[in-house]
Amino acid sequence: MSEKTGGGVKRREFLKVVGASSAALATAACAAEDTGKLIPYLVSPDQTVPGVSTYYATTCRECAAACGLIAETRDGRAIKLEGNPDHPLNHGALCARGQAGLQGLYNPDRFRTPMVKEGDAWKAIALDDAINRLSQAVAQGRGAAGNAVFLNQHESGSFPRFLDSWLAAFGMPAHLSVDAEADAAAMEANRRTYGVSWPSLDFKAAKLIVSFGADFLDGWGASVPQQLNYAEARAQLDAAPRFVYIGPRRSLTGLNADEWIACNPGSELAIANALAGKGSIQDAATASGADAAALQRIATELSAAKPALVLSGVTGDNALDVALAVAAINQASGAVGTTILSAQPITSFDGMSRTDQVLAAVERMRAKQVGVAFVRGVNPAHSLPRAAKFAEAFANVPVRVSFSSYPDETTELCTLIIPDLHSLESWGDAEPVRGTISLQQPTMDPVFAGTMGTADVLLAVAKKDAANAAKFAATDYRTWLFSTLPGGDKAIAAALPKGIMAGSLGARTTTVAAAPTAAPKAPAIAATQGDFFLVTYPSPVLGEGRGANKPWLQELPDPVTKIAWSSWVELHPETAQRLGVDRGDIVEVKTAQGTVRAPALPYLGIHKNAIAIPLGQGHRSAAQMATFQPKNHDPSNVQWGYGRYARALGVQALDLLPLGTDGAGGLVLTSTKASISKTGDHRTLPSTEGSARQHGRGIAQAINAADLNNPERPEHEEIPGDANHAFLPGMRSPVAADAQGELGSPTSANQGILKGMYDPADSRGMTKRRWAMTIDLARCTGCSACVTACYAENNIPTVGAYWQNASIWADERPGFNIERGREMNWLRLERYFEGNLDGKFGVDFETRFVPMLCQHCGNAPCEPVCPVYATYHAPDGLNVQVYNRCVGTRYCSNNCPYKVRYFNWFGYGESDRKQYAFPEPLNWQLNPDVTVRGKGVMEKCTFCVQRVREAENRAALEHRDVRPDEFTTACAQACPSRAITFGDAADPNWSVTQVARDRRAYHVFEELNTYTAVVYLKKVNHPAAGAAAPRG
Amino acid sequence: MTQRRKWTAIPGLVVLAAGAVILSAYSGASSSQHRSPVQPINFPHPVHVQKLGMNCLYCHFSANKSPDPGLPAVSTCIGCHNLVGPQRPATDLGPARTSAELQKLYKFADVAGMGAGMGPKAKPIPWVRIHKVPEYVHFPHMRHVNAGVTCQTCHGQIQNMDRVYQFSSLNMGWCVSCHVNGYSAKEGLEAAGYTAQQQATPAAAGAVAPADVQSGERKKARYDCANCHY
Repeated sequence: MSEKTGGGVKRREFLKVVGASSAALATAACAAEDTGKLIPYLVSPDQTVPGVSTYYATTCRECAAACGLIAETRDGRAIKLEGNPDHPLNHGALCARGQAGLQGLYNPDRFRTPMVKEGDAWKAIALDDAINRLSQAVAQGRGAAGNAVFLNQHESGSFPRFLDSWLAAFGMPAHLSVDAEADAAAMEANRRTYGVSWPSLDFKAAKLIVSFGADFLDGWGASVPQQLNYAEARAQLDAAPRFVYIGPRRSLTGLNADEWIACNPGSELAIANALAGKGSIQDAATASGADAAALQRIATELSAAKPALVLSGVTGDNALDVALAVAAINQASGAVGTTILSAQPITSFDGMSRTDQVLAAVERMRAKQVGVAFVRGVNPAHSLPRAAKFAEAFANVPVRVSFSSYPDETTELCTLIIPDLHSLESWGDAEPVRGTISLQQPTMDPVFAGTMGTADVLLAVAKKDAANAAKFAATDYRTWLFSTLPGGDKAIAAALPKGIMAGSLGARTTTVAAAPTAAPKAPAIAATQGDFFLVTYPSPVLGEGRGANKPWLQELPDPVTKIAWSSWVELHPETAQRLGVDRGDIVEVKTAQGTVRAPALPYLGIHKNAIAIPLGQGHRSAAQMATFQPKNHDPSNVQWGYGRYARALGVQALDLLPLGTDGAGGLVLTSTKASISKTGDHRTLPSTEGSARQHGRGIAQAINAADLNNPERPEHEEIPGDANHAFLPGMRSPVAADAQGELGSPTSANQGILKGMYDPADSRGMTKRRWAMTIDLARCTGCSACVTACYAENNIPTVGAYWQNASIWADERPGFNIERGREMNWLRLERYFEGNLDGKFGVDFETRFVPMLCQHCGNAPCEPVCPVYATYHAPDGLNVQVYNRCVGTRYCSNNCPYKVRYFNWFGYGESDRKQYAFPEPLNWQLNPDVTVRGKGVMEKCTFCVQRVREAENRAALEHRDVRPDEFTTACAQACPSRAITFGDAADPNWSVTQVARDRRAYHVFEELNTYTAVVYLKKVNHPAAGAAAPRG
Repeated sequence: MTQRRKWTAIPGLVVLAAGAVILSAYSGASSSQHRSPVQPINFPHPVHVQKLGMNCLYCHFSANKSPDPGLPAVSTCIGCHNLVGPQRPATDLGPARTSAELQKLYKFADVAGMGAGMGPKAKPIPWVRIHKVPEYVHFPHMRHVNAGVTCQTCHGQIQNMDRVYQFSSLNMGWCVSCHVNGYSAKEGLEAAGYTAQQQATPAAAGAVAPADVQSGERKKARYDCANCHY
């Protein structure tokens, strides 16, 4: 080359070299893919066909209700949990917390082996060693009664009885059966009034529902059966009962109410008395700050509604008094036997200990009277307020044993850890309703070989003890259990496939006999210092904290506030304006017990004199922990603070509370006032909502009950736009063929030409079906079970962990990807407020929930804009996304008016990237029938096409057609409100065809001519007499 | 550039580029067709299928029930080979000899001696996978088997392969062309190695009715993307 112009590489030479090396590299890269190995079984397991799922019926233990599960397993791994259709509580539905049980089973922070504390360090030990040490510990604990404390997670079934017999054999007192979320006051009032701790509630039979802070749809009692029944009640449309919610904070249940009476905490008693006619309306109005006329109207409604259903879930110091007053109203209203079914109680909550009993045990620990303490499935270091000084008392116990699977706060304080099996790996039982036993069986081999069921550990310890070996002769807990269940082995084997059997385990009373005397009574809230009443409440998703280590639950936006991966302080917009606090401004909340700092959230549903902070977050480790490094993580490096997802996230609101119990011995959560001050800091709240208002878009539509039968309203409104095409009756959308325009129309001159796969006459029958979905907004309560079910079924990655951000210049804080709008939820629950645009306190507002998912538009805006044909319309009506074609232009997402397309901005599905969303063993949960998407690929709801194919394949194998309603999508299956129906709209035998013809049917954004396959049914409002709910 | 270098460099680059284009366009360079990896045990299909008359489904048991065709468990092999040990007597299958392959099997399955059964230290045989479609393709074996597609249509005449090789390219184009053009029973039987005369007799043709063979009816299948890619 010429040297005229001096040194350095010339441009032409550079281009030649680059061109040649690219060509060379292209050839060099052409090698056959490494296909790996095929590893056979040594012996094929019985009744298992590889590639086909096996289903086991078992019992859910994510809360105390004990609903029935069907666990889908594939090749020995549980991959999806569904409700058991035969179970008397949940009838096939499953809430978000139940779905997330899989992330407890496969949690990457689960203990792999037992551990013992030596000095300051934890050492992993073998199971035999651990059992030996436990034997020694038990020897120390036996002797004087009261010298040992066993705190067990409350569960219904045979295990509590087994545990008590074991404890008694070693001279230890009976265990405490603890549930941190239970409403002790409600249960005590139920026992005194109806004779059972939790009667079944029949909302359908009620003429009016009044709830004093009882969040029966989101955590109070047995949410799933209550929600099932409530949805049926509301599905009666104009005959549905009205629902009034009274309380300082409008929870998810409150948002579903037709009317909210905002009241000062503590004044519920005055209102209840007034409604019962035992107190004056004016006094109630003054005490609560509510409108006297509204209270009078409700009192009148209540006296006319026979039967009514009045519930109390207040968390103040007078909780028992309110619950008793409410129970009296029920009795007077004729509710017993009609809406309060005390003859059909939910027996799952029987035998629960109270918080004051737990506190008494803590005081015994503090007085050095306890020689050995056991903790299983409970976390009192987190779920008791700091004012209880649990950690200090616990440290006085010389031997502290934890059976927990997770590195939580209480376990960190222990000396010996023998991790239990997860409920999906172990045998057990429950009696959720009298006379029906729900069986629990392992759905797979233990994930970690070093874990052992606590019952089996206790049996092993008993066998080592000379005095007790004969009494506990059963080889394992399963043998013991089978010998005690009615009917014997044969009956149990016959019952296991359905998961339930007739029989009873016997009545169960509270295990600890004597009522402790030194229970700290909560102070009257009015006497505390502060400007605002502080309301703390268990998160509907995380509970009081046990859900915080499951990324699905952290990623699930709070159903009320739509915020994920965060804590917040709710205050009324008027209050926020007065204080000069904007959304996201970090405020400091101070009480006599402590301070916390969290971002502020102006929320319409909080009393202007109150602030609210959710419980569930604020897990922390006692030890200093290094920042978690996903790629370099060593499983032996225990993530104290309840695991990598929960640690140091949000605030623990219980730090602010004084210690106090109510008249029934339950923990008082609304016990103090607090003051707020601005800190000057700010953080964007990670939220998935764009706006809380519809701005006239008509996404969530409602109709007043009175207008339902109004002849003035047209039966079917005309769809604007081109009406040339033939519509399927009821669907009001054309078949896919018409999406091809003129060529596809039945009346077109070009019939049969260029129709290709859309040809109805094709022998393959591809166009036979038209997959469609209806969503009934009158039933949807906004619980978001569908969202988590979709995550589980479709391998959707969670993106909110703080290390899932970019590799360079990253902001490492939890929820950052959510702030940037990178959440991946194929199905999201939109929550719109209607009315009270100015945010004035005292003006009621309405809430509408809209599950929004890919609408599978017949005339999809996303299809024509893909430059590589990665998305197209299938002949059977689905809008298909082909992951391997997608190059990531994101034009489709840009064009989608519903914004239901989600892009993999990072390699959430690639195990070698730091943003990997499924660290071992979370990846065991992945559904093999659904492709795991890599970086740069667009994804969206597929109407569970893998289930469609599975049903078609199964039908073909059996030489038949797919039966109507043979299968459904994951979201429809999980929904406890039965709001979603899925099926073939071209076949009148499928339910969806009938539901789509409902008079309330509409399509979102109909005016855009998208011809969606999802039909929504308008919500039905029941405004107060004389008032009008917002139209639209 | 000098004249001489121009005449070397430019044609050289053109040749390289043409080579890269041709190779990548036909994906011949990256295809695994004809690949025949060495297996940990040289399992002879001809002996088992032709000589002993074993059906494919005896070992690949879930091919007609599941998307996964199924791989025989080691116990399936040991079921016979517990007694058919490495010390082979003279039979119609061959002269007396020691079978090195069966010795390997005994080592994997920890069989102490003939009749001893699988031992406690048995390990699964790590077969080298030959046929693999990418993970974003969901291929249901049972639909094809139950539609009457003979195994040999896609996998070639395994009964004749001393060492299994990949007979078809497994390209998407190859799959789609069969779905679009259809599949006839006659083709399937030909692929399996049946002669025309054998195809006409019910016994030889097995489960396929001669009427189906004669009619020449072509079974067509769905071919849009969502059939396999989801």
